[in-house]
Amino acid sequence: MAQVEMLAMILAGGRGSRLKDLTTKVAKPAVFYGGKYRIIDFPLSNCANSGINVIGVLTQYESVLLNSYVAQDGRWGLDSKDSGVYVLTPREKADEGLDVYRGTADAISQNIDFIDNYNPEYLLILSGDHIYKMNYEKMLAYHKEMGADATIAVRPVPMKEASRFGIMNTDGKGKIVEFEEKPAKPKSNLASMGIYIFNWKNLRKMLVADMNNPDSDHDFGKNIIPRMLGEGKKLVAYEFSGYWKDVGTIDSLWEANMDLLDPKNELNLNDSSWLIYTEDVSTLPQYIGKDAKVKHAYITQGVRVEGQVTNSVLFTGAVVAPGAKVTDSVLMPGVVVEEGAVVTRALVAENVRIGAKAKVGQRNSENILLVAKNVKGGNK
Amino acid sequence: MAPKAFGIVSSADSSIYVEGLHDYRPIGSFSFLGRFRVIDFPISNMSNSDINRIQVYVRSRPRSIAEHVGSGRHYNINSKRGKIQLLFSENSSTRSIYNTDISAFLENIDIIQRMHQDYVIIAPSYMVYKQDYRQVLDAHIASGADVTLLYQKVDNAREYFRGCKILNMNKQKGIESLEKNLGTAKEKNVFMDTYCMSKEVFINLIKEAAWESSIYTLADIVNIKCKEMDIRGFQHRGYFAALTSLNDYYNASLELLDYNIASDLFRAEWPIYTRTTDSCPTKYLDTSKVTNSFVSNGCVIEGTVENSIIGRGVTIKKGAVVRNSIIMAYAQIEEGIRVENAVVDKWAKIIHAQNVHGESGRPQYIRRMDTL
Repeated sequence: MAQVEMLAMILAGGRGSRLKDLTTKVAKPAVFYGGKYRIIDFPLSNCANSGINVIGVLTQYESVLLNSYVAQDGRWGLDSKDSGVYVLTPREKADEGLDVYRGTADAISQNIDFIDNYNPEYLLILSGDHIYKMNYEKMLAYHKEMGADATIAVRPVPMKEASRFGIMNTDGKGKIVEFEEKPAKPKSNLASMGIYIFNWKNLRKMLVADMNNPDSDHDFGKNIIPRMLGEGKKLVAYEFSGYWKDVGTIDSLWEANMDLLDPKNELNLNDSSWLIYTEDVSTLPQYIGKDAKVKHAYITQGVRVEGQVTNSVLFTGAVVAPGAKVTDSVLMPGVVVEEGAVVTRALVAENVRIGAKAKVGQRNSENILLVAKNVKGGNK
Repeated sequence: MAPKAFGIVSSADSSIYVEGLHDYRPIGSFSFLGRFRVIDFPISNMSNSDINRIQVYVRSRPRSIAEHVGSGRHYNINSKRGKIQLLFSENSSTRSIYNTDISAFLENIDIIQRMHQDYVIIAPSYMVYKQDYRQVLDAHIASGADVTLLYQKVDNAREYFRGCKILNMNKQKGIESLEKNLGTAKEKNVFMDTYCMSKEVFINLIKEAAWESSIYTLADIVNIKCKEMDIRGFQHRGYFAALTSLNDYYNASLELLDYNIASDLFRAEWPIYTRTTDSCPTKYLDTSKVTNSFVSNGCVIEGTVENSIIGRGVTIKKGAVVRNSIIMAYAQIEEGIRVENAVVDKWAKIIHAQNVHGESGRPQYIRRMDTL
């Protein structure tokens, strides 16, 4: 196999249990976002656009759909001769038996043989469940320029929220002097984005040692980064200022979808120099019917609107029947809102049917309602 | 099951010319219903009918077809067992009388002879319809006919299908002759320029046509052969459009705004494939008012759109009104402008002209990349 300069490993094993019924059968990276995408399209497209050709995707939790989804590497243009997206699930090994991934670092450690095949100079570690656009090539250039052992992407968060994140304290010249996980009294507002570049040879040694350490949680944030700092290695912070979102909850997933309707939104999905690629579906274009009213909406191909849609995001193949009203809501692929039904402040999961005249969600509800099962028709 | 037939997608006769649009690309490359190109229909029909060896004949301006069809992967054709070949007629000029389908086939006769399949389906790149060619082939084989032709019974042959040929048939669906549609009657059997025959018959017809006259087309030789060969019709039902003039293109497109007609042409079990452009969903703003329209992805719509087809990445600004029109990809309609009964080609910008309108049923064409 040809040597690659930088190989990417995407951590996609998380369940995302706060997304409730959305992730009972699919892992969080496979959750739908933005009308036509799945969350993992973002790191994969970023890799493709950054000229990274070989990507390992580490999956574990409910991975059948995710594995088959990412294996179609042509979707992201990663199917040329030296490219590929490789699904890496826990496997039985000759001398050890089957081991689950015990932590983020362990997931990499268990695939050292895969990485060695490509003999990379640098290893890029990414998260499969974040929404953002980033040029990793620029981050690598910074890593080289700083002569770092590891570079960690960070973004400024409001100081009052900083205690919810892993915070990097720097010396003012970009060098990280301290890492604090969810500090009670944060000294800085630079939050780790879970994006790392390591020099592979050195990381490899550390991972081998970490694997056999019974006291380790085998986690990058908890174990590897602090140990590197302790050993006096040069860790630098790479500041990122664009749109970035970790959609942990139904509310934040809904909000991230709504961000696309905000005129001040920074996540431009229409930039032809940095497109986000996804599964190609054969459908009609979107059809807006004779009596339809569509205002402030983000709608993709295959959707059919005959009723009213206001301030909502509609995914591939969603149908809004005559007389139905969809407001402040997200309809995932294949959702059908039957005649006269009213959907308000709701996130409706894939292929769910809202029966005629049914009412779901409330205008001033505190939280967004997740509708994951068919709703019977109403009587009114 | 291994495919019994290979496919040929032929291009329009040199007598067919579509005002405006045709100056930039062959009809196969015309945008259709916003996100498709006309050639997606014959190729998808073939692919869905298990035909995985397809030759696409390109008569002129090959760039857009070559770019769009490419390796054919998006048409769901196996990359090892199947293949799409683009074949160019290089020996004659675009609109020359010598530039016939027969001369193109003759130039590539060795490639045709090398095909492993026993039968051929020939379909045009300027018509839109849905047809399972396995049914045509099965009927062809069962009937023992030499050639089977696909046709549609229409009741508007006076106004439409004027660039097409019609079939004169006896009661047993035997074809007696092919002739040009002169618009003399409403009810006609319009020939869909689609043939099914054995490879052997096909090769003989090519050779005979070329020997008889260097300007004969495949339809000409089939017409002559009606007397001595067993040539039959196979009736197609459902949506059918022949895009042989700007009016026909415009009317056939807008006809699909009837969602029942559109959803019959686009069925889940019969996907029409196209090349994705990875554009994001379309954004409708607070001031947008859209009714009875097909809209493609990547648009930003602030104005009013009625009874129209909007291509990818189109911008329609506040106060602009688009009615009964086809707006192609990346066109821009500025604030307060009215566009009615028009076909606006790709990348056109309407900025200064306050009113752009054609007559009902006779659209105004706005050139590609033009600024008005």
